[in-house]
Amino acid sequence: MARVLVQLKLRLLRNALRASTAAKVSFIISTAAAALVAAGAFTLLALLRGQPAAVDVSTVLFTLFAFGWLILPIFVFGLDSTLDPATLALYPLRTRPLAAGLLAASASGAWPLANVVGLLGITVGLARGALGVLTAVVAVLLQVLFCIALARFVTTGMAGLLRSRRGKDLAAFMVIPIFALYEFFTQVVPRVAAEGKLSASSFAGVDAWLRWLPPGLAAHAVADASDGHPELALARLALLAAVIVVLVWLWVRSLGRALVTADTSTQSSRVRGAALPLARSGLRGTVAARFWIYQRRDPLSLVYWVLTAVIMVAASISTLLGRNSHPGIVLFSVILGAGFVGAFHANAVGLTGEPFILEALALRGRRELRSYFSGQDIVLGVIAVPLLTAASFGLAAAAKHPAEGFVALAVGLAGLGAALGVANIFTVALPYPMAKRAGSPMPQSAQGSGGHALASNLGTLACVAVAAVPVIVAGNLTSADPAEVRVPALLVCAAAYGVALAWIGVRIAARAAEGRLPELCQVAIRTKL
Amino acid sequence: MSEPALVVHGLRKSFGAKEAVAGIDLEIAAGSLSGLVGPNGAGKTTSLSMMTGLLRPDAGQVLVNGLDVWADPPAAKAVIGVVPAEARLFERLSGEEMLEYAGRLRGLPAAEVRSRATQLLDVLDLTADAKRLVADYSTGMRKKTMLGCALIHNPAMLFLDEPLEGVDPVSADVIRRLLTRFAGSGSTVLFSSHVMELVEQVCDHVSIISKGRIVKTGTMQEVRGGKTLQQAFIDLVGPRASNEEGLTWLGSSSS
Repeated sequence: MARVLVQLKLRLLRNALRASTAAKVSFIISTAAAALVAAGAFTLLALLRGQPAAVDVSTVLFTLFAFGWLILPIFVFGLDSTLDPATLALYPLRTRPLAAGLLAASASGAWPLANVVGLLGITVGLARGALGVLTAVVAVLLQVLFCIALARFVTTGMAGLLRSRRGKDLAAFMVIPIFALYEFFTQVVPRVAAEGKLSASSFAGVDAWLRWLPPGLAAHAVADASDGHPELALARLALLAAVIVVLVWLWVRSLGRALVTADTSTQSSRVRGAALPLARSGLRGTVAARFWIYQRRDPLSLVYWVLTAVIMVAASISTLLGRNSHPGIVLFSVILGAGFVGAFHANAVGLTGEPFILEALALRGRRELRSYFSGQDIVLGVIAVPLLTAASFGLAAAAKHPAEGFVALAVGLAGLGAALGVANIFTVALPYPMAKRAGSPMPQSAQGSGGHALASNLGTLACVAVAAVPVIVAGNLTSADPAEVRVPALLVCAAAYGVALAWIGVRIAARAAEGRLPELCQVAIRTKL
Repeated sequence: MSEPALVVHGLRKSFGAKEAVAGIDLEIAAGSLSGLVGPNGAGKTTSLSMMTGLLRPDAGQVLVNGLDVWADPPAAKAVIGVVPAEARLFERLSGEEMLEYAGRLRGLPAAEVRSRATQLLDVLDLTADAKRLVADYSTGMRKKTMLGCALIHNPAMLFLDEPLEGVDPVSADVIRRLLTRFAGSGSTVLFSSHVMELVEQVCDHVSIISKGRIVKTGTMQEVRGGKTLQQAFIDLVGPRASNEEGLTWLGSSSS
């Protein structure tokens, strides 16, 4: 059974590679990333040799790897068919051989190998003497086995949920912490390390409780064996092995249940209250009502708003860390925030997908199309203005230039107007189908539309930056004027300028869409969300 | 014969070298319940998309109640309702919100939309699920909701693409009865299907499409010519050659 399932996994991979160039590119990138992680982890662990906090850092790294195994299967659930027990439920298989086969399938591939190779860096960094190295090898193998068992237990237990709509929503939300972590590691960690505030000794003592988690047991067993306490090392490895046995036992039980139990994890949601709010306010209100509901209920919309906030904070990270308090950074953050509000909505037809057909069948003429686009803009504005206001004043206060918050808000309002206007124009002029690929909870541009997506995203960001220039110039030219005159004038003029830009965008988009509705419908039909 | 509700002249569409619709001429009488049948890939969906303004034709003219779909789309859109092959609905709206949204998009007053939505939900047997998200609906419920969206503005002509595909028998019966009632009131229905039995039961007119051309059209009796519709269809479109000699093991139950 193990051989059959390993072959199945390899065959699925091979077939996916044959299917498209994108899959080949994705495979090459994934393999390269696995090699990088292996080399990086090995080097990092090896460099710990002689460091006083070597065991602490090793424990943290082992725990991070386990955390990755816990999270990633939720993302790749749809990608790896061997993760879902339902795909094998129809075959006459006994649970135990099936479990062994699924474990073997999990252990095969570039990433498990990268884990083993990377963590073996502990043999250089922490292990001393033959006993230490031998313990390290056993500890790494047990750690990887623990990670695999943990991932299988989680995915099998959550299989019903992950197949459901709610599970897919949950997977979409996982993008937020991962993006935030990415920003943390690429923005915060290098800066803190460059200031000398982060070194191996910073981790001293952090494993006070991590050492009792299974990854900590593995790392500390190596330290114990190297320090001449083989009995302690053995006890830790035995405890880790016992945890693995319990985990596998729990997993086999849950696998047995998952193969024969109907999915009851999806309880359908009921909405409260009366139907569409604002719907009495004409077509514009009707479109705004639908769009407002989507901003609250659609995970993708929520993710976009949180990402916009994270991007603004990330762009000002040097200010927040107290290193650079130039007010220009606050302006940059706000422009970027407004730009991404536009970029995330610069393909509204593709994002709406097939339901756009229903709207296209009802929208008659340029006037109704103006109401359609402006109804969506009103909702985006209602959410974006408070967000930009909070960002402007919050970041300006962090930069110790609180008064600059008003200028930042003025720039943000102008940028937002430009973003909404340009987003509508790109929606009509450069629409492209979107697709949700297996393994990715977030929709991406469909195959062959990557250029369109890049052009409309970069185009929106560039247009927003250019549109904000007059407000920045006006802010600088009036910096010596009294604030009680300057601030209201600047805010009112910037807001009016932003509204004008948005309105021009609505008019251009409606005019263009009038003659292109069938083509927009075809983009909507080709979208698979 | 009454005035035609739908007139199609020389409708053509090619995708690259492939000619999907090779010049269709068709007339559907007002008040009729008409079927467009054909094998997979015959051009049914492409034809219906062009008739409803969703796909720009290479050539040809489509008139619905005398209104040119491609010369005056806003006027034509006002009198048609469409149920596409795949139920294209806003997943994060409830069934009730979905119907109300469809009605308000058509410019109906809010109070009228609410009243019609309530009645449609009742007739379509969706009242108990009216406040559930469409995302949690079954295929049959989605089709019924889509039908409600297409009917809420009381169109003169209704186009349906494979309306009963993947629909359970109970929901199918609800849809069938509603279509019959709608056509009985003087409105016109054209739907595509490759299920001959359904078309034979429901329709009074039928057109057979094959390889992008209408090969026969008329009343059900005319097209059937004394045979079942299935047999008439196979005679016209031609049976597919099959080779079952290789399945010698099938049915032996040995392994």
